[in-house]
Amino acid sequence: MAEFSKQLERLEAIMRRLESEDLDLDEALKLFEEGVERLRAAREQLQQAELKVKKVLEIESPS
Amino acid sequence: MGAPVSPGHGPGLDLFAAASAEGAWTVGEVTRRARAVIEAGLPPLWVRGEIAGFKAWRSGHWYFSLRDKTAQMRCVMFAKQNFRLPTPSDGMQVFVFARPSMYEEKGEFQLTVMELLSTEQGGLWKLAFEKAKAALTRDGLLDPARKRRLPAFPRRIAVVTSPDGAALRDIQAVVGRRWPVAELIVVPAQVQGAKAEASVCSALNRIRRLPVDVLVVARGGGSVEDLWAFNSERVARAVAAMPMPVISAIGHETDVTLCDLVADLRAPTPSAAAEAATPDRGEVLAQCGVLGQRLARALRTASRHVVERLDRAGDRLVRGIEHRIERSGALLTAHGARLDALSPLRVLGRGYAVARDENGQVLKRVAQLPSGKVFRLRVTDGEVHGRVQ
Repeated sequence: MAEFSKQLERLEAIMRRLESEDLDLDEALKLFEEGVERLRAAREQLQQAELKVKKVLEIESPS
Repeated sequence: MGAPVSPGHGPGLDLFAAASAEGAWTVGEVTRRARAVIEAGLPPLWVRGEIAGFKAWRSGHWYFSLRDKTAQMRCVMFAKQNFRLPTPSDGMQVFVFARPSMYEEKGEFQLTVMELLSTEQGGLWKLAFEKAKAALTRDGLLDPARKRRLPAFPRRIAVVTSPDGAALRDIQAVVGRRWPVAELIVVPAQVQGAKAEASVCSALNRIRRLPVDVLVVARGGGSVEDLWAFNSERVARAVAAMPMPVISAIGHETDVTLCDLVADLRAPTPSAAAEAATPDRGEVLAQCGVLGQRLARALRTASRHVVERLDRAGDRLVRGIEHRIERSGALLTAHGARLDALSPLRVLGRGYAVARDENGQVLKRVAQLPSGKVFRLRVTDGEVHGRVQ
């Protein structure tokens, strides 16, 4: 799943594109659908999260 | 007084023995004896003086002189006594608690220092702190312009702290409640004692290479000695060189360490550091709701734009047609004028007339006009009837 801040950045870009004046209805609808999907994914990411704790000793490869 | 002496000599100086080469003392015997005398006669004591010729050896032992206006003496302070202390410098007024002795190999009277206190304002700690702070300032590391913004939605949060301290438990609890979306990477370090400085530096070094969005360096409260690793110039420089933003929460709110000063943000407690590092999940969810509304509004705007564009296109179409029609009208008038010029009525106007029979047939030849034939004559302003004679 894409990083949360990336999701929000993409959403911002979608909004800006939608709010600009030179869109086909077709393109606008496509962007809107993508926006809704990303928003849903972001919400899901927030709601399902459970804190993961790692100690560096455990994830470090022996070197 | 257990120092060995030459046979035949009791305690005290034997002037006769000293007067002849026979039975002379060796150097070692004298220094051993002197050491025994000094150690028996001068118990450990507090000495006040000024530091001169200070030198710290690689072994960690310190060598320096203590002096006043009239005299000076050599001092040694071994690593196991000085490791908790900031390094003093020449000219500093100090108190030392020391054992007077003789360094036999050099035949030098010497103080073995067990404690060292500065008499200056704030003591040795304060002085060392100010000295390191001045060095960091000189290198621009305390410049407020260096402070970086914390990431809005951190994915990985690293923590350098004691693995079993309250600081870690607090941080874990706060991040778990506010932003469990993140992954917490704990890099254990010794946060007090002789090895703390090296341990914290090595922990920082390991984090350097990890893909981490923000770093929290934390330690609970303690005495000035306990917090000393976080006042070390080495740790401060390591913190300043981290590639990601650093939040520092060392000691209590009233303790400001060098680590706090070079960090991008100083938090009063480890919990506050965790709060600063994370957004609140509930608030972000609310923001998502607002974003959803904005998205719907944006779609409405986009469709309104499309409709407006259609309207504009329609207007242009109508205007185009109207223009065409106007042009056609003008053309028609021009054609009319030309038509008019060719009209037979114009010819009649010049004095000609057209004769037609009762059926409207134009009578052009004599043969069509026998005597008695009735005809109509069209002239420019009307028609008259006639008969051929």
